[in-house]
Amino acid sequence: MSTAPVVEQPNLPRWQSIALLVGAIGIAICLAGLAFETTRVHVFRAWLVGFCLTVGIALGSLVVLMLQYLTGGDWGFILRRPLEAATSTMPLVTLFYLPLALVLSSLYEWADPAKVEADPHLQHKALYLNVPFAWIRAGIYFAIWNLLAFLLNRWSRQQDTARDMAIHKRCEALSAPGMVLYVLTITFASVDWVMSLEPEWFSTMYGAMFGMGQVLSGFAFAVAMLVLLSRRLEVGQLTGGNNLRDLGSLLLAFVMVWAYLSFSQFLLIYSGNLPEEVPWYIYRFEGGWKYLGLMLVIFHFALPFVLLLSTNVKRNRAMLASVALLVLLMRAVDLLWLIVPAFHHNSEAVNPPLGARLIYVAALVGMGGIWFAYFLMQLQRWPLAPAFNPYAEGAVHGAVAGH
Amino acid sequence: MAQAPSQSELQEGQIIAPGHSFGTITDKIGSIVQARRTPKRWWTGFLIGFTLMMLLFLTIGNLLARGIGIWGNNAPVGWGFDIVNFVWWIGIGHAGTLISAILLLLRQRWRTSINRFAEAMTLFAVACAGLYPLFHMGRPWFFYWLLPYPNTMELWPQWRSPLIWDVFAVTTYATVSLLFWFIGLIPDMATLRDRSKWWIGRVFYGILAMGWRGSAVHWHRYETAYLLLAGLATPLVVSVHTVVSFDFAVSIVPGWHVTIFPPYFVAGAIYSGFAMVLTLAIPLRKMYKLEDFITDTHLDYMARIMLTTGLMVAYGYGIELFMAWYSGNVYEKGLIANRLIGPYRWFFYALIACNVVAPQLLWFKKVRYSPWTLFVLSLIVNLGMWLERYVIIVVSLHRDYLPSSWGMYSGTGWDWSMYLGTIGLFFACLFLFIRFLPVISIFEMRTLLPEAHVHTEKEAKP
Repeated sequence: MSTAPVVEQPNLPRWQSIALLVGAIGIAICLAGLAFETTRVHVFRAWLVGFCLTVGIALGSLVVLMLQYLTGGDWGFILRRPLEAATSTMPLVTLFYLPLALVLSSLYEWADPAKVEADPHLQHKALYLNVPFAWIRAGIYFAIWNLLAFLLNRWSRQQDTARDMAIHKRCEALSAPGMVLYVLTITFASVDWVMSLEPEWFSTMYGAMFGMGQVLSGFAFAVAMLVLLSRRLEVGQLTGGNNLRDLGSLLLAFVMVWAYLSFSQFLLIYSGNLPEEVPWYIYRFEGGWKYLGLMLVIFHFALPFVLLLSTNVKRNRAMLASVALLVLLMRAVDLLWLIVPAFHHNSEAVNPPLGARLIYVAALVGMGGIWFAYFLMQLQRWPLAPAFNPYAEGAVHGAVAGH
Repeated sequence: MAQAPSQSELQEGQIIAPGHSFGTITDKIGSIVQARRTPKRWWTGFLIGFTLMMLLFLTIGNLLARGIGIWGNNAPVGWGFDIVNFVWWIGIGHAGTLISAILLLLRQRWRTSINRFAEAMTLFAVACAGLYPLFHMGRPWFFYWLLPYPNTMELWPQWRSPLIWDVFAVTTYATVSLLFWFIGLIPDMATLRDRSKWWIGRVFYGILAMGWRGSAVHWHRYETAYLLLAGLATPLVVSVHTVVSFDFAVSIVPGWHVTIFPPYFVAGAIYSGFAMVLTLAIPLRKMYKLEDFITDTHLDYMARIMLTTGLMVAYGYGIELFMAWYSGNVYEKGLIANRLIGPYRWFFYALIACNVVAPQLLWFKKVRYSPWTLFVLSLIVNLGMWLERYVIIVVSLHRDYLPSSWGMYSGTGWDWSMYLGTIGLFFACLFLFIRFLPVISIFEMRTLLPEAHVHTEKEAKP
């Protein structure tokens, strides 16, 4: 693998225009929803869900990329370019956040001066939960994430042409503090954006659980992309044999860790049964939300878990991609389940009207579509196989072994 | 990172020194066991361990004669040294399973030279841990009442209690660890049997080798069994300490009812486990000149795992402090205030110094490649993890909801003698293991040689 493989450019522009069109329709529906008094607040909430999904894929990819730099492993070679393209959507995701920053008071009780006035509990938290500080924190998070994504992409490009192991070492050296920064930022970001929707509730597990959800989103997305692209590209030859199986095993591991963290939090709050903690789950078991919760147990954990135990499933491209897409879909369901029941003070949240439900779908599809189009644009800028990489030899070996 | 100063001809990243052949590996490891004379240093170490073990027996004898009143546990601190030490020892045991099972499944070949004694360490640590709940029962001869069996007393375990889950988690863990360790030993037992010049050695190792002849069928069955056991042992790495964390977190005691506890306990367990592996490996490789096999690269990797898990543990401390403030709950805030400025505050500050501040040195490559600095750091982390359990258990219990039932706790002389005694038991067992069984897997070390690389194709298969 000393020479750059000649990579035939895939027919991605078509996918890109479709994604852009679908995205534009979704966003248009959201904008239309803004016009009506009854649906306006749902647009804000739906935007928050869509933002959490897209930022989750982008950040999750960043974490997987850094994890690979830190731990090595041949699987990183074939996954690198989809991961890098997903991280380079960070500017778009930052843009997605801006509308939210302007409507904080419609979403968060702590951003509404009238409510803070009336609630001593919120006054206690005002030291942390206040609008200017929330803006400053968001600025810090996005600065760190954009910088990490930018540097890792830039250095990887440089390595393609310079063929210098020193650049690879530099990526490794950045990844260790990068991981620490990610864990710290996502912990506080998850409090700021999601947990504080119910400012009376708290859980020390939340940041870890939310972050793991992002890692899972990023990884599932990258695996699904890789398999879809493998039909068209030279890199597809590398998705054979043990390489694909390793990706499946990692997906299984991430699914298990997510389930472990989520279940632990549930068990501990359920058994403690304290009045300040357990309502969080009660709201999420009301109305139709309990079916969504049940879906998470079955399709976010049980089914992927059982399927990914099988080596045959992990080696089969179509099956592996289906499982990865299922997990990605469930990530969206999980975010809906985490976020929307938080507005329980408003009875519409338990059972939103049909028009409002449409808004949630439109926001997810719209933001997802725009994001995907941007991702494809990034993906097409560079060859799909890194030209110079210490793991290339192992990846080629792994693709052949096991056949 | 290529500018590393290497102290010998050993290159960085190499996990076995060059120049070895199948024969030299076998000789080097086998000769520790089959030496004619036992080294003086071995006798010194063993006798210290043995003496402390006698202290353990004395404590247990006194405990059975007089009851657990000789310990410091009392209302409000009903769990003291016994549970602190139980969790400490169980945590130490985790590195063995992680190295032997998870690193095997992840195909980390560097695990080969440290897995054997790390697994042995696990077994002895679990044995030490088990003593505490057993003797805390007061009447340990009724321990079988914990098991669900039909009886005329209408006695049935309380399945909602994590303490019962613990019984099953720990016994399963001990059983699987023992099996895993023993199966891994079989081919080496056969090697020692064949090399023994004395009939007692041939009989002893011959029985343990279970008729191993090294045929292709034997190897095939062996590899299958070993991989299956690794798969079985992997969930145990997580489950045991998760259940231990449930012992606390399922309750509603402030400082115990913390949702981050499961992953944070697991990370802490691996942290202390790797600290103990380093505590043992560094003197061991010096004593028997095993630097060719347990290289500086091994120490570097273990130090990195320690740094990673140490950061996770630090995250746990931090998030607990932040959420206690954020919650606005008077009991949560009271607990944190008690931790930071209460009567046991120095335990907390010492814990932060040992577990959070000191390990930050591991970011520096120089430190990771300096065995004796690592040795000192590993001792500090072992101490820090003991303090962590002390802070979690004693500081949370001694002041809970009702100020009228607040009190103080300190371990009695018998608490300390039991603790020192289990350390003695641990080291006595470990020295016996070093003398009578190969501390490094002989046959797995052979597979690291270039001559053995035909095996890599096979290894890649599931």
